[in-house]
Amino acid sequence: MGVRFILCFNKQGVVRLVRWFAVNDNSTEPQEEISQIYRLISSRDHKHQCNFFEFSDDTKLVYKRYAGLYFVMGIDITDEEPIYPSHIHLFVEVLDAFFGNVCELDIVFNFYKVYMVMDEMFLGGEIQEVSKDVLLERLSFTDRLE
Amino acid sequence: MERRKTFTESNASNTGSNIKGLQLFIADLRASQQSEEQMKRIHSEIVKIKQHFNASNSKKKSTNGRLLKNDKYDGYQRKKYVAKLTYIYITSNTTMLNDILFGLDEVIELIKSNTFSEKFMGYMTIELLYRHKTVVDKINDAVVTQLIKDISSSNDDFTALGLNFVGVTGSLTKELALNSDLVSEVFQILRSPTSALHLKKKSTLAFLTLLKSENSILADDIKRKQLWIQRILSLLDDTDNYRLTLTTLPLVEYIAKNIDPSYFTRLVPQLSDILYRCIVASTSTTGRTSFPDEYNFANMPNPWLITKIVSLLNVLIISPSETEDTNALFESSLIHTDNIDSETLGKLRVCVMEAINLGTRRTADPMEKIVQNTILFSLINFASKLDPSHEAIVNSATALCDLLNSTDINVRYLALDSLIRLCTFSGKTAFDSIRGKNLELIFHILSSERDSSIIRKVVDLLYTFTDVDNVKTIVEQLLNFILTSRHLSDSHIKSDIAIKVAILTENYSTDPSWYVTISLKILSLGVNTSVKDEEIWIRLCQIVVNNPQLQTLTCQKLLEYLQSNQTSEYIVKVAAFLIGEHANLILDIASVPDLFNMFTEKYFKVQNSTKSMILTTMVQLYKTQSDIGSAVIKFYQLELNSLDIELQTRSYEYLKLIQVSKMSQNMKILDVLFQPLPPFNAKSNPLLKRLGSLPVGAFSSTTALTTSRSKSSSTILNNMKNDNSDNSMNAITTEGGSQGSDTISAPRPPPARKMRSSSTFNDMINKDSMVESKYSDLRMSNGWREGYSRMLQFKQGVLSTASPLLKILYRVTKIDPTSIEITLTFINQTEWEISSLTSEIIASRTNNNPEYFLQNVQPPESPSIKAHSKIEQKFQIVIRKPFSSDESPIVSVYFKCGGSMNTLNLKLGVGVTSTLASNGAVTLAQFIKRWKTLSDAMGKEGEYQSQNISFGQSTNDNDVGSNVSKLTNVVLRMGFDVVDQTTLSQTIFLAGIVHTKSDGNFGCLLKLACLDNGKLNITCKTTTGGTLAQNIVESIVYAIKK
Repeated sequence: MGVRFILCFNKQGVVRLVRWFAVNDNSTEPQEEISQIYRLISSRDHKHQCNFFEFSDDTKLVYKRYAGLYFVMGIDITDEEPIYPSHIHLFVEVLDAFFGNVCELDIVFNFYKVYMVMDEMFLGGEIQEVSKDVLLERLSFTDRLE
Repeated sequence: MERRKTFTESNASNTGSNIKGLQLFIADLRASQQSEEQMKRIHSEIVKIKQHFNASNSKKKSTNGRLLKNDKYDGYQRKKYVAKLTYIYITSNTTMLNDILFGLDEVIELIKSNTFSEKFMGYMTIELLYRHKTVVDKINDAVVTQLIKDISSSNDDFTALGLNFVGVTGSLTKELALNSDLVSEVFQILRSPTSALHLKKKSTLAFLTLLKSENSILADDIKRKQLWIQRILSLLDDTDNYRLTLTTLPLVEYIAKNIDPSYFTRLVPQLSDILYRCIVASTSTTGRTSFPDEYNFANMPNPWLITKIVSLLNVLIISPSETEDTNALFESSLIHTDNIDSETLGKLRVCVMEAINLGTRRTADPMEKIVQNTILFSLINFASKLDPSHEAIVNSATALCDLLNSTDINVRYLALDSLIRLCTFSGKTAFDSIRGKNLELIFHILSSERDSSIIRKVVDLLYTFTDVDNVKTIVEQLLNFILTSRHLSDSHIKSDIAIKVAILTENYSTDPSWYVTISLKILSLGVNTSVKDEEIWIRLCQIVVNNPQLQTLTCQKLLEYLQSNQTSEYIVKVAAFLIGEHANLILDIASVPDLFNMFTEKYFKVQNSTKSMILTTMVQLYKTQSDIGSAVIKFYQLELNSLDIELQTRSYEYLKLIQVSKMSQNMKILDVLFQPLPPFNAKSNPLLKRLGSLPVGAFSSTTALTTSRSKSSSTILNNMKNDNSDNSMNAITTEGGSQGSDTISAPRPPPARKMRSSSTFNDMINKDSMVESKYSDLRMSNGWREGYSRMLQFKQGVLSTASPLLKILYRVTKIDPTSIEITLTFINQTEWEISSLTSEIIASRTNNNPEYFLQNVQPPESPSIKAHSKIEQKFQIVIRKPFSSDESPIVSVYFKCGGSMNTLNLKLGVGVTSTLASNGAVTLAQFIKRWKTLSDAMGKEGEYQSQNISFGQSTNDNDVGSNVSKLTNVVLRMGFDVVDQTTLSQTIFLAGIVHTKSDGNFGCLLKLACLDNGKLNITCKTTTGGTLAQNIVESIVYAIKK
């Protein structure tokens, strides 16, 4: 039930963000899992192939590429996929508004702030807040805290 | 997101929370192009950080306590260095975990800091590292101590960080969920009316992660379960902006799925209402929408709220097709589609229609399109549950098939996924409407799509609706696909398809030779698939060994394959196994020396595991015809030099065997060692384990399939059995009578992997007992007896005034002889609004042939009641069998008023006497005659006596006359016929007929004797045995005693 992990990596496969909400049942090491996902997704054609992939016995992938960055969500195999592209898109929109025209460098240099955004949006594998206004107000507050 | 900014401009949110040292380090790393150079930079940084941490630690030790001034500087440094380590951890794809673990103690220092940004950095880092068990083991104690402090802190921002930590890591380790202090702290935030909204949201999800780790937090303590679930339910009372609702729904869904759904079925009208307002009211052009605008997303209704509500409704509502499933423990706590009141059902249906309208609206905005699809698919998947009619299913199927032509590949994928759900859920009706018109289209997708995700779905869909009639077409298409597809590089898919084809062939073929042909064809593809699909050939061997009539045919076919040189590894294996076993069956077309030569030739082209099989085949050939002895011996001698120990050993052993048999001049030893194989008795097809990637929707999905499959599965084998009824092998195979074929075939339904609900409920001991326990666990509110007693006598009146805030009235109407309708009116007695009102009618039993059925007609019209206003609720009760007053239904009402939360549990005055009907006036003579007849016929059977019953409040009133007249009034109101007589002034004679739906109608006769001491004796005779007489007496006692 819900998001099992959130991943973000660039075209070269360098991980930019990673967040686990659940541990996989098999004993695959995280780095092995991440590289498998990178190899899989980077090899997929983004015009002729869909944004969903059944990855393992417990996980489906929903992903989307924004310029040079892939945003990937691993979701429970029993979940229905349709809502998750909206999850990803909202996340990117909020990042965009927060950083002001976000680019990969923002995420590189301010990775901890991106986690701050993620914390306000996703918790326990579920979406926590969907109103952009509310999110941005809250984020500008926490960002200013010493 | 282009790389158009330089580092200096990149910090767009420049708020002083930036860490310069970190950014320089990152810039440095980015400047070095060679990865070697980067590693060098990283390692030198790690050394520097280690030195710094060591230095600051020793400084701290030496200047113990005197360092306060530098704390701020130290904190910043610590944050900076930890951030660098975290950056290294993330960008190294977690591989450098061990290089950074030295910093753990400093991370712990960070979470202890009183500066937000430092605490944040600390928690953020541990949230990442908690994925690794080694880290949890090292620091969990320290983390939890600080965590509890932070969550209970008066600083909301610290509380938020603490809750966030639990929400991220609560399911990564059980440690957090096992700490009861932590659990209560988290729950404290959730329940407290003073917690800030954003903290409540975090606490619901944090609590969810803890619960996911340990169901026992709620499941093991029934008091806590009731109490906490009430608190959680009250969070749904957030009708202003639904923000809290959004995070509470997943929690509710989890509890309903995994712990106890019975608390939540009453939410169905409320949830449907939100859904309706969200989808229909908010999009209506006529304005006057009560739904917050900001919750529209991409010009569409809030898809998150919609999917969450639909998902929960899917759990709470059970459809007729699911009911047919044998899973009885499921049913009792869930609400049946036909038991949803018509208003709610109507709203839900309008939602489905509106979602389809919205889904087909034209739009250029890609985001709007995504949201449209989300809502559309979510509700289409739900629709089959609401309306399982033939027409509705056909409509859904048609709509989804249309979407298969969409130009958007994601839509095609989701449409296929929904079709699979529909098929598994709705069975044959769905199959037929899809197969009828769209089979060609689906085959076309199979051959034209290049996306392995889509191909998988197509294959799953085809697999789902294959049956005896279309198995040949579908299998041929699938095989053809494996052979010809050039798009696919994914070998897993080919192997998946091969396995599915193998299962379909086995399950549905009615033609044994076709079965063998196809199975061998799949195996001959082994060359292409390169994946080890051992199961397929093993399964084929099992079936052939168990079915003698297949043996000759299979061996002949195998021979053809061997001769044609198109032999895959698997074909050789099967051939080695089966021809070795049954060589005698094909001697007319191939001599033993021919076979020997053929296997010798193959021997050098196959892998060692196959070679060792061939070695065994050789000795079996020798056993069949011993004059090939010298060639066989030569062959083994050659293999004595094999580098492979297994081949060497086998060769040596078989060589010795042949020598021994030659010396003793008989084959006895070989006959003993190589007896014909006994039939395999693997109960299930091992291939079915390999169906992993077939996600089937609802658990019941498999109902239709299960039956159709298990019936048809045996077709092939049943046919065989008839053909060969005199075969002795078959006699063994079919051990156990007509079920015999199951020993080998017994295919399972497609294994529904971690289905929507099946697995989740497995853990529950017994659903029914759970409901019963809920019924018996409820503590009645004070003064319930008064309303109960009243309701046994009067058609309408006051049910309860137990709460000064809410008064409840009732009205009972008879619908037909065995059912009554009850209307409850809730009246707000206060100056404030009553909110979150839910009311649930709870039966003592709901399955296993219960005594009465409850049917909701209309739930409380709204969850809130304005000051001095009222709302109504209606439901019907069908009395099926006699039942005790202790089993009367309970109404459980929950509401909030002015900040207080209230629960009322009231027993409804419904008993066997509720369906009492008179049979016209009875004279004393008639009464006595009937009494005697009953006594003659039944004896003491069906009689019940109760003596010395005190007369309620008027115990001190010994005026027998007034007691008699009071009593007469009570029983008249209850519906008894009172015999008009003056002969015995202290005795009342009653007659009546009790109506029940299942057990029929029963006459009853009663004698009520008022004693001089103010007490009462009652004797009741009924026309049936059992407890009816006692039930009637109890009802009367309840009615007269308040």
